[in-house]
Amino acid sequence: MRPAAPLWVLLPCLVVLPVLALLPGISHGGGWELVGQFAAAALRPSLDPIVLGSVLGGLAVTVGMALLGWAGSLVLGLVLGIASSRVVWRTCYGSAAPASWIRRLLAIPRSIHELLWGLLLLQVIGLQPVVAVVAIAIPFGALVARVVSDLLDAMPTASLDALRCSGSNSPAALFTALGPPLLPQVVSYSGYRLECALRSATLLGVFGLGGLGTELRLTLQSLAFHELWSGMWALLAVMLLLEALMGWLRRRWAMPARLGLSQRGVGSQGQEMVAVAMTLLPVLVLVAWRLEVHPASLLQWQGMPPLGAADWGAVGALPWPRLIGNTLMLTLVAASLAVGLAPLLLLLVQPWPAACALLRGVWALGRLWPPPLTALLLLFVLQPGVLTGALALGFHNLGILGRLLLEASETSGDNQDQALLTAGVGPRLAMLYGRFSHLAQPYLAYGAYRADVILRESVVVGLVGATGLGSQLLEALSSFANDQLIALVLAYALLTLLGEDLSDRARQWLLETTHGDGHPQEAGGTWR
Amino acid sequence: MPTRQRWTAAIAGFCITLLPAAKAEPVLRIGAIPDQNPEKLNRLYGLVADELNQQLGVKVVYVPATDYTAAVSAFRTGSLDLVWFGGLTGVQASLQKPGAQMLAQRDIDAQFYSVFIANSRSGLKPIHTQKGLIALKGKRFTFGSESSTSGRLMPQYFLAQAGIKLADFAGGAPGFSGSHDATIALVQSGTYDAGAVNEQVWKSSLRSGKANRSKVVQIWRTPSYPDYLWLGQPNLDKRFGKGFSAKLRQSIISWRSTDPEQKQILNLFGAQQFTTVTTGGYRQIEQVGRQIGKIR
Repeated sequence: MRPAAPLWVLLPCLVVLPVLALLPGISHGGGWELVGQFAAAALRPSLDPIVLGSVLGGLAVTVGMALLGWAGSLVLGLVLGIASSRVVWRTCYGSAAPASWIRRLLAIPRSIHELLWGLLLLQVIGLQPVVAVVAIAIPFGALVARVVSDLLDAMPTASLDALRCSGSNSPAALFTALGPPLLPQVVSYSGYRLECALRSATLLGVFGLGGLGTELRLTLQSLAFHELWSGMWALLAVMLLLEALMGWLRRRWAMPARLGLSQRGVGSQGQEMVAVAMTLLPVLVLVAWRLEVHPASLLQWQGMPPLGAADWGAVGALPWPRLIGNTLMLTLVAASLAVGLAPLLLLLVQPWPAACALLRGVWALGRLWPPPLTALLLLFVLQPGVLTGALALGFHNLGILGRLLLEASETSGDNQDQALLTAGVGPRLAMLYGRFSHLAQPYLAYGAYRADVILRESVVVGLVGATGLGSQLLEALSSFANDQLIALVLAYALLTLLGEDLSDRARQWLLETTHGDGHPQEAGGTWR
Repeated sequence: MPTRQRWTAAIAGFCITLLPAAKAEPVLRIGAIPDQNPEKLNRLYGLVADELNQQLGVKVVYVPATDYTAAVSAFRTGSLDLVWFGGLTGVQASLQKPGAQMLAQRDIDAQFYSVFIANSRSGLKPIHTQKGLIALKGKRFTFGSESSTSGRLMPQYFLAQAGIKLADFAGGAPGFSGSHDATIALVQSGTYDAGAVNEQVWKSSLRSGKANRSKVVQIWRTPSYPDYLWLGQPNLDKRFGKGFSAKLRQSIISWRSTDPEQKQILNLFGAQQFTTVTTGGYRQIEQVGRQIGKIR
């Protein structure tokens, strides 16, 4: 017997049981005092002008890096996305074969996390502000490219065929037929990418590439919690502001919601979009100038250090099965925690508005906190290891998934929810069967995609030690063991490519097997 | 002029003002990751830059750094001209940049110590000989940052000499708390039974009351080894004029606590004053780094 569709959403939650069972084994309790100090400091952030000054300075750098990296990724993504679209090649060239080759090539930059890009670029270019920007732009660009090409290829080709038949040339036909329906989806998706870019820029700072992340890590390491929270609150304010702005623009321009089921055509807001794009350009130039981001410094490659010969024997002797096993375990636990807990917590707090607001707040913090810092904080009470890393990553992704689910559940299944409520069903069950039954498949499909992201992200919690490939990679970096570094990055890339393939299959399976009504294809397929 | 052309000219003019000014004079870029109060240094970096600027007459920029690895790479690629490195990172950087100059160190750095500390409820007693470290077998143990000389490299070396492998600790591996402050706090709270920290940070935590003597105690002090130093690029004289490296060294060494600004800097670095570097001692660090695999 199959469980009802909405119950599928809750299935990953089962991972909580073994995690809870294992937690006592890895906790030593002694550090709760520190965690308490950390939590208490939230209410009394430092208001010292020097601290605030450096927080604001760091925040400006982080936001600037995010903005530039994001803009770069959009340009890169649009160009590459069009270049890897089957329909474009078929229309202009006659065969779609080059598209799939470009697509495959693009999987490689995408499979490497922006942190790794940052640290690798740092090795060849040096500590230049442009490093963080490019580190964000490359993997994000490859990701945007994939989304753009997927969107293009999924579009109905009727109008394109009509234009071609009436004799218009290929580029013009493509532009006219596919441009307008593509635009709102790209704009909506790019808003979401900007939020991701802000998170990534903060993370890069944690690893020494500048901005507020630097400040957060230093204050955490010096246990200066009051000063830490000054930075946290400032970052939270900017993030919530950005999210609100993006949500507002999305609604204003009648964009499809991220997991929403309805799609509307282009609104009459084209002029506004153009105006925003035009104002964005000088802002970007100004930011680049202020941050001293010089694209020319990208060309000044430095030689690699004069180090001893590569020792491939030692590379082979690394405990590969354990490293890979731990990495996969970390991913699986973190993904299940994030995917499963979001709907469960939402159901639990459903009857109480206050608890609901609190949950939103905690999720916002989860999104905001770079996972390595959560991991460092968890070390106060837990031993280093896979589970500690998984909890840190899971918390971060719970924040992201939770918000998504919340947004989607507010816009879908309203009628069913109301109907169930008036029929006397409790608020939780009404939510579960009314709202979640629509969302189960797109949500799980998105969860499968998220698992793939988490696999890539697992490198960032390598800081807490013994977490598989990630920690080995950071160790190789700090030992300047380039042979190991190359092997580990390759292993990571390979693993994430496999993971991507697997999560793609899972997603397709989830979206194609229809359990109930609804049109999940459009909803879950595009959001990554 | 038609309006369109006028606009074009105006925009072009605006763009030109945005271009970075032509390379006029070289800028001295300095960076530091001190073990103590790094977040404060990050905020007061103006002080160090201003002081050097005043004494040397060149433009000085402080580049905040958090990550030892990032700082080493930045030095190798020439993004930083003068860096305050730890012993291991200093050796890593000078091996990667032949000709790098060891310019100055603190009075305490030629003979630096780490201490092993233990939670008072852990049952660990003060150790009198290095062999006594064997008592740490099976205990929960934490180092500081992975690349720290005083928080990881030398303690690991002394442990290995006493016959303790990393797998001998409880849980099959030691922890890496990330910083000396965190190590002290974690051992004090009982999260770990014992840990290794930089002696200077330990002493100042005891003085400031951050470390509570009734909860965390010193059980062993390591033999001495050389640690932190200011490392300068090999090409400083070429870029800033003949004799610049010597002037730079002289300037750092001349800082005294009688001058209010210089006193603040010295406090940040936890130093009485800076001195010239005894380079010989770093060969030991290099050897240990190679043994442990942090230098190849």
